[in-house]
Formats: sequence, structure tokens, C-alpha cells
Amino acid sequence: MGTPIIEFKNFSYYYPNTEEPAIKQIHATIEEGDFVGLIGPNKAGKSTACLSMIGIAPHILGGDWMGDVVVNHETIQSSNVSDFTKIVGVVFQDAESQFTQETVEDEIAFAMCNMGFERSEMIKRVNEVAISCNLTEFLERSPFQLSGGQQQRLAVACLLALRPKVIILDESTSQLDPKGRDEVFKLVKELHRQGRTIIMVDHNIEKMAEYTTKLMVFFEGELKLYGPTSEILQQKELLNDYHIRLPQVTDAAYGLKETYQFTKLPINLEEASRTFKEYRGQENGSNYSNQESCP
Amino acid sequence: MDPIIQTKNLVHEYKGGVQALKGVDVSILPNDLISIIGQNGSGKTTLVRHFNGLLKPTEGSVVIDGEETTTKSVGYLSQKVGYVFQNPNHQIFSSTVMDELKVGPKNFKFSEEKTKERIEYVVNLLNLGKILDKHPMTLDYTRKKLVTIASVLAYAPKVMILDEPTGGLDEDGRRLLRKILSLLHEQGNTVVMISHDMDFVAENTDRVIVMAEGKVLLDSQIANVFSETEILEKAWIEPPQITLLGLDVDPEKRIFLSVGDFVSHYKNRSSQKII
Ligand SMILES: Nc1ncnc2c1ncn2[C@@H]1O[C@H](COP(=O)(O)OP(=O)(O)OP(=O)(O)O)[C@@H](O)[C@H]1O
Ligand SMILES: [Mg+2]
Repeated sequence: MGTPIIEFKNFSYYYPNTEEPAIKQIHATIEEGDFVGLIGPNKAGKSTACLSMIGIAPHILGGDWMGDVVVNHETIQSSNVSDFTKIVGVVFQDAESQFTQETVEDEIAFAMCNMGFERSEMIKRVNEVAISCNLTEFLERSPFQLSGGQQQRLAVACLLALRPKVIILDESTSQLDPKGRDEVFKLVKELHRQGRTIIMVDHNIEKMAEYTTKLMVFFEGELKLYGPTSEILQQKELLNDYHIRLPQVTDAAYGLKETYQFTKLPINLEEASRTFKEYRGQENGSNYSNQESCP
Repeated sequence: MDPIIQTKNLVHEYKGGVQALKGVDVSILPNDLISIIGQNGSGKTTLVRHFNGLLKPTEGSVVIDGEETTTKSVGYLSQKVGYVFQNPNHQIFSSTVMDELKVGPKNFKFSEEKTKERIEYVVNLLNLGKILDKHPMTLDYTRKKLVTIASVLAYAPKVMILDEPTGGLDEDGRRLLRKILSLLHEQGNTVVMISHDMDFVAENTDRVIVMAEGKVLLDSQIANVFSETEILEKAWIEPPQITLLGLDVDPEKRIFLSVGDFVSHYKNRSSQKII
């Protein structure tokens, strides 16, 4: 067992003026160095779970709660949002609405400025994240004159500049082009390799399968499943009940499970290629290869 | 057949000098079902904003249903070409969902009866019954997106442009969108969708326009797009995972566009083998 960094303790949260909790009785521990993916349909509670991990729910949003969320040993009672933001950083889907500055460069520096970083350090980090998020040519431009995807990259850059211990990305790749999305995942993977804890909400199940180490499955406010990614993704029928689809290659293997006698479903392209090729390898000794050489 | 949308050597330069389109020629026919794909900042949104006159060409021309857009207002063009914005916050301006849905029918002077009929239709189709009294800005991003789709559908434009409708949609939302696209297509409308979601593009559109750096790199039937590795590379596109799997393991390098295609193909092969 690693060191717990975020612990939900039978936590339920009610938005102001609502009778039903948005998340119910969540009991789970995220350990330092985990790369956890949160999956589930819209309104299942993923974003609310993210908001609770950074104290926005309940400290800023108000509302009621039961149980507790312990972040880096601080309980809800013993903490406020600024305690949380020292270690946890978050990016939401709607990047544009968080921008306040006149240039991309200032936007990246803004949060660091608020946290009292030295100027030289700020400049260094702005340049660093501008490169890693592919924004160098836009530094002088207004954040509002970027395309949708460029704005999302900027939001990610603003967060990374602060180098928080825990990084939460809530659907912040939804408007990125496929390569750009992959780059954000790669970037986050590198931060994970350096020991940071990553929590990610994303509807792209293929990327989630490829990069995360654990998955949390939310449905109707409840945490239904939590475990290693490869194990969770074996359970097609159950995931179906929770309105979640499998990665395409996993689904294909599932569809051919009986035909090919697969015992474990591949969850990423590499595994799937290997699995299908192995099968073809066995096949080649048989009449199948003859068939192919026949006209 | 005459194109419903045609651009010739379209150039667009934003204030401040960014040249977002560098000579684009596209021709869209009535009842086409098209995706525009390409890297962030390649000019997709800039292009489609010319289709209802929100942007006017810096050079070249845009002809909608036989008329040059330069001489027409956005109001006039919008009746033919409905545009669902990439960012729903830029589109919504009413204080209830119901009012938002009424904007189009009111602007285009629909009779009361027809307005009612259209609104009922979209409310049912998009399952908005429970949120009609809510302020659209208080909804989550996905719901906002559905409201903006509904508000354009409500006035039944001939051409429907959807700018990244899949962004942030879950499986149920995608299923709904799939249904809307096929209904529009069956009813004879023209649909142009911008998307970064290649699975969705592969399964739901017939023709694809690939853009990079303000230009069209490829305009082709969907089946021919994902084998163009070099072009896709330039446009920052990754084919769907199932297509990549097919390209890697299929001896004839077939292009599979859906999991269903892949599974039925291999099921058949293995039954051949038994014979
Ligand atoms: N209001 C604006 N002022 C100046 N430049 C702009 C403006 N809007 C977009 N641009 C620039 O124009 C180019 C094309 O942008 P556009 O929004 O058309 O791209 P896109 O293909 O829709 O991208 P995305 O997939 O990220 O939405 C980009 O370089 C972008 O930075
Ligand atoms: Mg765009």
C-alpha cells in the first residue's frame, strides 16, 4: 500500500437547494503516484468528485455534505480552498471562462503571480510550459483569440506551471485534435512518471485505457467500481449497465471471444495487435494459409 | 446538382493579421453528410462561419444556395444555414431554455402553430422536457450543448452546421447525436459537422474534408481517408483505434470503420476456415 493522498470517507455532497446528493457515500482512497481515470455518463458525479478533491465543494459552492474528504491529511473541517490549491490543481472543460488576462503569457503567469513566485522563476516556467503545451507562437496573443483547442492547451499550461502534486483534468481534452489529445496524455504520463498523482475525467475510453493505472466508474452519483484499469475493462456487461463502452479494440476482442477463445481481453492497440497476431500465427500452420495462397 | 455551399479561393484574415484561411475551395451538395477534420487552429471554425455569413471573405467568394454571402445578412443566411457554435456560451442568450428554443421560430416568423409543433419535436427528440424553465447558463456544458443544437433544429434550416458537437458528450449523448444526424439526412437536409472524434466521424459521415494550416488537404469519401497516412500526419489526425488495428493485423490491410465491421469480417473468416 502506498501513501494515501486523497481519501473519500463515506462522502456525500448536496448542491445548494437540492434534496438528492450529487455523489453518494463515496468511500475510496487515491494513493500518491496513482493515475486514476474517472468514467461514467454525464451527471454521474465525476465532476462533483473532482470539485470535492479541491475543496470547491463545499467551501466555495456551499451546500451540505456528510462524511469527509481528506486531502493530504487535511479534513474538510480543518481546511479551506487555499490549503487544497497548494497541492491540487484542476482544469475544467470550459477553458475560456477561466481566462482573465490580456495575453497568453500573462495568463500563464497569473496564477503563479498570485502565489508569490519570483519573477525569474515565473519566466522560466512560462517558457517551459509554453513549449510542452505547444503555445510558443501565441504568447503575445489574447486568450480569446485562440481556437477552441488552443484555449484548452492554455488552460492545461496554466495548471502545469504551478507544478501541483495532484493534477486533476476534468474533460480538458474534449476539443483537442487527436494528436493534441495524445500529447496531453503523454505530458501527463511523464508527470506521473515523475511521481505526481493524476486524476483524469475523459470520455475518450481508448486513451483512458492506454494511460491510466486505475479506473473509478461512476453511475447515478455512486462509485460503482474502482480497480486496476485492465481488470475493470474486462467487464463489458456491467459497464454496459453503467452506459460505458469498451475501447474499440477491447470491444472487437469481446465480439470475437468465442471464435478465438480469448481468455483476457486486450485493452490497448499494442496488446490487441499482439493478441490477434498470435492467433494468426497459430492459424498459419493450418489450412488457413493454404487458402490464402489459393487463387 | 448545384452545390448548396460553394467557396472559391476563400481567404480569411482576422484583425491583427492572422491568416486563418489561405485559399479554400469546397463544394457541398444538397443532402451531403460531411465531416470537417483537422488540427486545432487549422481553420475549420473560420471556414464554417462563412457559411451563414458570420464571417465575410477577405478574398474569394462564398455562394450559398446560389447567392453570394457578401450581399446578404446573417439573419437572412441563417434561415437556410443553421450553425451550432463550438462554444455554447457564445450562442445562448435567453434566460430560459424554452425562450432559447423560441428564438429561431420567432425571428423567422413561424406561425404559432408551427412554432409549437417544432418546439415539441425538438424537446422530445433531445429530451429537454425537465429543463425548459431553467436558465441555460446554469446547465452543465453538455446540456448547454444539447440546448444549442435544439435551438437551431427548432427552426429547421435546410443546412445544419455542427461545430464539435461530440466534445464532452457521453455514450448516451453520442447515441442521440447519431440519431439526429441520420434523421436530418433522411429528411433531405445537408449536414456539415466539425469533429475531433474519429470514431464518430468514421461511423456517421460519408465524406470528409481534411484541413491543415488554412488549407484543404483532402476531400474524399470516408473509406479512403484513413489510409492516407501522410496527409493525416500533417493534419494531426489519428484514425480510429479499430482502423489502426485492422491496418496492423489484416493481411490485406483492409480499412475497418467500426468495431461491427471488424468483428463480422473475422467471424466470417473463421467460419470459412472450419469449412
Ligand atoms: N478571433 C480571432 N482573432 C484572431 N485570430 C483568430 C481568432 N479566432 C481564431 N483565430 C486564429 O485563426 C486560426 C484558425 O482558427 P479556427 O478557430 O478556425 O480553428 P479550428 O480549426 O476551428 O480549431 P479548433 O479545432 O481548435 O477549434 C488559428 O490560428 C486561430 O488562432
Ligand atoms: Mg474550431
